[in-house]
Amino acid sequence: MRTLFPVLLTVLLLGSAGIYAQENKPPPGEDYVSRAEYDKLKAEHEAMKQELEGLKTTVRQIANGTVPAPAEGPSTTTKSPEGKQVVTEATSQSDLDALHEEVDSLKSEIKGVVPGTTKFLLAGYGTAGFTARSGEDPFFDAAFNAIFLWKVNDRLLFEGELEFQFEDGNTTTNLEVAQASYLLNDYMTIGVGRFLNPMNYFVERQHMNWVNKFPDKPLAVYDGLLPESELGAQLRGVIPIGPTKLEYAAFVANAPDLITTPGDFSTLGMLDFGNLANAGGHIAVGGHVGFIPIPELEVGYGILRSKVGPRDQAVEAILQSVDFNYVRDSTLLKGLINFRAQWVWSHVGHFIYDPDGGQGFGPFEFNNNRNGGYVQLAYRPTGFGNIIKNFEPVVRYDRLNQLHTPVGFDEQRWSFGLDYWLTSSAVIKAAYELDNKNAGARDQDAFMLQVAVGF
Amino acid sequence: MKKLTQIIWRWVGFPGTAIVVFLAALTWLVIGCSTAGNSASTASGQGGAQLWAQNCQRCHNTRSPSTYNDAQWEVAMMHMRVRANLTPEEHKQILAFLKSGK
Repeated sequence: MRTLFPVLLTVLLLGSAGIYAQENKPPPGEDYVSRAEYDKLKAEHEAMKQELEGLKTTVRQIANGTVPAPAEGPSTTTKSPEGKQVVTEATSQSDLDALHEEVDSLKSEIKGVVPGTTKFLLAGYGTAGFTARSGEDPFFDAAFNAIFLWKVNDRLLFEGELEFQFEDGNTTTNLEVAQASYLLNDYMTIGVGRFLNPMNYFVERQHMNWVNKFPDKPLAVYDGLLPESELGAQLRGVIPIGPTKLEYAAFVANAPDLITTPGDFSTLGMLDFGNLANAGGHIAVGGHVGFIPIPELEVGYGILRSKVGPRDQAVEAILQSVDFNYVRDSTLLKGLINFRAQWVWSHVGHFIYDPDGGQGFGPFEFNNNRNGGYVQLAYRPTGFGNIIKNFEPVVRYDRLNQLHTPVGFDEQRWSFGLDYWLTSSAVIKAAYELDNKNAGARDQDAFMLQVAVGF
Repeated sequence: MKKLTQIIWRWVGFPGTAIVVFLAALTWLVIGCSTAGNSASTASGQGGAQLWAQNCQRCHNTRSPSTYNDAQWEVAMMHMRVRANLTPEEHKQILAFLKSGK
């Protein structure tokens, strides 16, 4: 009514002006309203008034409960003892069941037509970091690992992992994993292709940057004395034994190669684990057993044996590893305790390098035994407030002993880090590393930052 | 010298097996027997949520069920069954929890 009043007033004023203008015989033009137009407008106005009154009446009736609301579905209307109206659903259980079935069917159909979501998963992780190490130029780095998983059926899985990273100013691509796994039965799986080294717990379970709690990786166990991946076949699984579990893995793979003609003398006698062409033609045999007495604890032992070196001068190489992992959510300490340790031993048999002196340093032989590993403790105060529970201080000691090899020194490090978890798989890490080498080698302390995101 | 090296190596190389066997026997006897109700392997009696927390947390932070959809969890869990050596019962219950936990 409030909106109509100005309209009516305007119309009346215009109408009056029109009548007045006609009586005073003004010149006809577009600025004037004729009698016919006035009557038409007046009639429309009267009709609108009636319609408005009708609507007001209806609203009052609905508010008083004297007229039912318009029905939208299968429902009935009754009156409560207080005189208020109650709308009761008349839908039966069978109707609901039918509706549920239809919804489930639609869900299934939708999943079936969306490409990839039923069997394929793209996962992986990315990192960006900064390292300032004494004696070297500080640098930024970044890497990206894409993991492709394809579940062919309930027994067959294919896994591929591509790593993209900067190396010597170029972007390099590495095929880290390309493995087909087949579940032979409930407790045994066979895998063929290129797979993460099963005897190396850190590599198989901890090396991923969104899992590893430091920006860098420990000495000896990674890029050190043990291979990171194998090219061959493995048989693995788990055996429940009473209240405990026993994990196992056994594999055959291309053997590592023995470096006998090095570009850098310090690498003489080391094992080249990137021996994809299997130079020397040897086969490595290895495995790992892990024992889980309680869910929080796992202890394991891994071994790899193979012949290495030229076919006519091959010597034996034995790599061994012991791992200990304890993770517990402690109510007493109001947080998550994460303790890990792994130690590895590398032995390469007696070999005479450069026997004829052709390379300028022989004949040369040395005790080719090395060992090293790490111990790490982290604590995340999950029982505290929102901000505090996202922090995770961590300390690590790692060591690599190879004084009596061409490397010529032992190295040990103490690392102190602080992680901040943005989500369960995204973390910002800061760490300071105190480096100590003997035999006159230069210590290289380091400050590192890293952002890692798993997806 | 060579003989001494071999003896040292035996001492250096052998502890791997010895330590693990010793620790395994000790923990099995002391901890395993005293926590018969707190099984590491028997999934019966433990909910999917508990198994999810125990098994995933041993290596990394637990990921929320809403991270992936049901079809993606099926693939991820098959991958974890192989990589983390899950028993069929653990795999089944954790997957059911992840699918229902959204």
